[in-house]
Amino acid sequence: MSEYVIEMNHIRKEFPGIVANDDITLQLRKGEIHALLGENGAGKSTLMSVLFGLYQPEAGEIKKDGKVVKINNPNDATALGIGMVHQHFKLIDVFTVLDNIILGAETTGALGFLKKKEAREKVLALSEKYGLKVDVDAKVEDITVGMQQRVEILKMLYRDNEILIFDEPTAVLTPQEIDELMEIMKGFAKEGKSILFITHKLNEIMAVSDRVTVLRKGKYVGTVNTKETNKQELSNMMVGRPVQLELKKKPAKPGETILKVEGLTVPSKIHKNNAVNNVSFDVRAGEILCIAGIDGNGQTELIFGLTGLEKATAGKVTLCGKDISKASIKQRALAGMSHIPEDRHKHGLVLSYTLEQNLVLQKYKEPRFQNHGFIKFDEVREYAEQLIEDFDVRSGQGPITVTRSMSGGNQQKAIIAREIDRDEPLLIAVQPTRGLDVGAIEHIHNQIVAERDKGHAVLLVSLELEEVMGLSDRILVIYEGEIVGEVDPKKTTPEELGLYMSGAKRQGKEGN
Amino acid sequence: MPRKDPVTGKLKWYKSEGAVAVYSALISILIGMAVGAVIVIIVGLSKSNISSSGIVEGIKLVFLGVFSTGRDSAGQLVFGFNGVNMGNMLFRAVPLIMTGLSVAIAFKTGLFNIGAAGQYLMGTMGTLSVGLWLGWTGCPKAIAWLCAFLVGVLLGALWGAIPGIFKAFLNINEVITCIMTNWIAANLVTWWFDAHEMFKNSAEGGKVGYIIPLKNVGVVTPKLLMDKLFAGSQANGGFWIAVLIAIAMWIMMTKTTFGYELRACGANRHAAKYAGINDKKNIILSMAIAGALAAAGASLYFLSGNTEFYWSTYQKLPAEGFNGIPVALLAANHPIGVIFSGIFMSMLNISGIQLKYLTAYNEYIADIIIAVIVYLSAFSMLIKMMLSKRIKHDHGNVNAEPAVSAAPADDAEAPAEIVKKETKKGGQK
Repeated sequence: MSEYVIEMNHIRKEFPGIVANDDITLQLRKGEIHALLGENGAGKSTLMSVLFGLYQPEAGEIKKDGKVVKINNPNDATALGIGMVHQHFKLIDVFTVLDNIILGAETTGALGFLKKKEAREKVLALSEKYGLKVDVDAKVEDITVGMQQRVEILKMLYRDNEILIFDEPTAVLTPQEIDELMEIMKGFAKEGKSILFITHKLNEIMAVSDRVTVLRKGKYVGTVNTKETNKQELSNMMVGRPVQLELKKKPAKPGETILKVEGLTVPSKIHKNNAVNNVSFDVRAGEILCIAGIDGNGQTELIFGLTGLEKATAGKVTLCGKDISKASIKQRALAGMSHIPEDRHKHGLVLSYTLEQNLVLQKYKEPRFQNHGFIKFDEVREYAEQLIEDFDVRSGQGPITVTRSMSGGNQQKAIIAREIDRDEPLLIAVQPTRGLDVGAIEHIHNQIVAERDKGHAVLLVSLELEEVMGLSDRILVIYEGEIVGEVDPKKTTPEELGLYMSGAKRQGKEGN
Repeated sequence: MPRKDPVTGKLKWYKSEGAVAVYSALISILIGMAVGAVIVIIVGLSKSNISSSGIVEGIKLVFLGVFSTGRDSAGQLVFGFNGVNMGNMLFRAVPLIMTGLSVAIAFKTGLFNIGAAGQYLMGTMGTLSVGLWLGWTGCPKAIAWLCAFLVGVLLGALWGAIPGIFKAFLNINEVITCIMTNWIAANLVTWWFDAHEMFKNSAEGGKVGYIIPLKNVGVVTPKLLMDKLFAGSQANGGFWIAVLIAIAMWIMMTKTTFGYELRACGANRHAAKYAGINDKKNIILSMAIAGALAAAGASLYFLSGNTEFYWSTYQKLPAEGFNGIPVALLAANHPIGVIFSGIFMSMLNISGIQLKYLTAYNEYIADIIIAVIVYLSAFSMLIKMMLSKRIKHDHGNVNAEPAVSAAPADDAEAPAEIVKKETKKGGQK
């Protein structure tokens, strides 16, 4: 018997023009939790796709229990007992939990009728054994994200998988749910199941894993025992240079009120109730105010209402002393609002435009860039080159790169460069670091703090608890379209925030 | 140098996007012509009155019809410069260029203008009515010409704006409204001329259902050298006007803030809105411009003076309206390219006429070839995609270090791949 249940030795996978995996070795011991750490584009997904049979490697071998195996497709992977919980769940919304679990692995009787009763008993037994609480008869669309994830995990257990891959499992969970998941994972490991845990969150790695394998730019950096390392070392391995993990910022010096929101109400497009209900708050110059909450609690609509992308049905918004409740998007921008949008592909960029064209998306009409309606191409080029240099936006062809071909991180940097350079008194930043890696996050956080220190007001919306705690000067928690609490990041804990975010705790009216 | 990237370097001109567009257009034209030649052979073999030499003549005319100068005394086909054919080719190209521009500009702004036929009819109605009426009142011919042209264009713009308004405010697909406005225009124009007997040509005996040509009242486009270059043909200054409009459209789309806005709305309406651009206004404007261009094609065509309009159109939409789509596709929606693809389509038309007069074939062969090319022009997008993939692929391997830009693209694609394969797997089960 080999020491390792799965070995991926010297895996090489190429795509046209790029080596996604270059001589990567990953060895998974039986009964261990093995974290796979790396920035975006480091090759984590490619490596897992190779293991799952979606890609064939150009070189290298995969061994199961010491024997070389060939995994040609996901069915082969399942046959070897490999299961995966994808970052975006693969569930059918209108099916029940039970139907989703047995889908693809149904046991049938003589005439092809489903043997649902047996399946149900098996699922209930599994759910009991591992403490995975689910309602087997509920439809997936009616259950919480946390329960959906438990359904995905049950799917793997139902198929008797011994090797469990978790792809960024905590991105959608509340702090409490994350803790639960960590316990469940530890339970699996005790049972003798082996777990591969893909993540870029260092806290979770430190909390749960036994060993960590780090990848960088398609190359294998090393494997370390979690007990013998620390967050700083891991992040340096991942990025390839010393990274400053704790954001250094001076205490805020709040000045006059820049943005005043009174009783803002925005209808929902999904349900009949208001997505944002009677929300009031102020943002002052020189402070970062963060709206924290679980995704889908009205953050998007709140920002749409503030920026004019959506019409608010009630409430008053005052920006720099000017009532902009009824103003158009352009008028709001001119009144002093810059906006880093949540969806950089939908709102932030015209993807078929070049980088330079995107960098002047609001400015093309300024006299500097046009003369009687004719664009001054030299000026645009010069301006774009300046921004690209100042904000370290990397792309294949500089200003003339089509933004669609740029990486997500650099697309985001381009948007941030454009919005920060507008130098408006209010900066609205919605999930500015979503999907970005540690190096890019560090850079963007510093930019946002610099904005604050310039005396601008910053309204931050974030789902990442670490970002909320580290970056903001004041936190408002939004739950089901209402502000349920205001806390000081220096005095609160992630646990307390989690209680507010899940609606379990609520401050009195004075908190509004 | 700011325009050159030190790492990847720029694509050579013959590998640029524009060059690829030209190659793909040429490939689809060649395939279309080859299919046309095959049809000529099949028809020739199946008809007893066409000999093998007749088939060869047919093929020659398909490719070189515009250079045909008839037959010599020995009965052989003679080719050379034919001013009449050339001139007529340019003359007939004018409406195709304009409707092609109409479709291309709409495409560039993310809209599919299938309503060029209706806009063309509205332009026809406006130009003929105003031209004839002002011609009779005896107002100066130049002013009458200008008014006739402008009213035609304006009517087309209004007609184009209707689908734009529906799209902007109610988010109704412009294709559906365009098809409806086409037929409304067809009936409206018929009704208008039916109700106004004075426009009908009864003076010239034997002509039923035609409108009086504008030359009868002297409101015609000046020749502007065209009569010197192509003596005996119908060519006139309208061609120069069409070329100027095409150039103006190119400048508008690529060099001005207005074009920047229009294209931004077309490429990503949400991002345009986010940036404070009035997306609704721009959608209506680009449809109005498209309508104006199609109508201008009709105005220029009928202001040549000789052309006659058959007023009872309620059962038939003008082919120029739909031929604008292949013209735009062949040109990859480039306004300057539209000039050439418009001339090319018109050349095929001339070839058809030559076939009819000089051989036992009828002119419908040319229509079949046009139809094949229309189909293939849709493929030209596919060919273009294949070509640019090849070029990009070569490029990626030549340069050792595109990793900066390529790496994340891979990461973004990998999950999509997984989803695709998963679905496939699910489907098989």
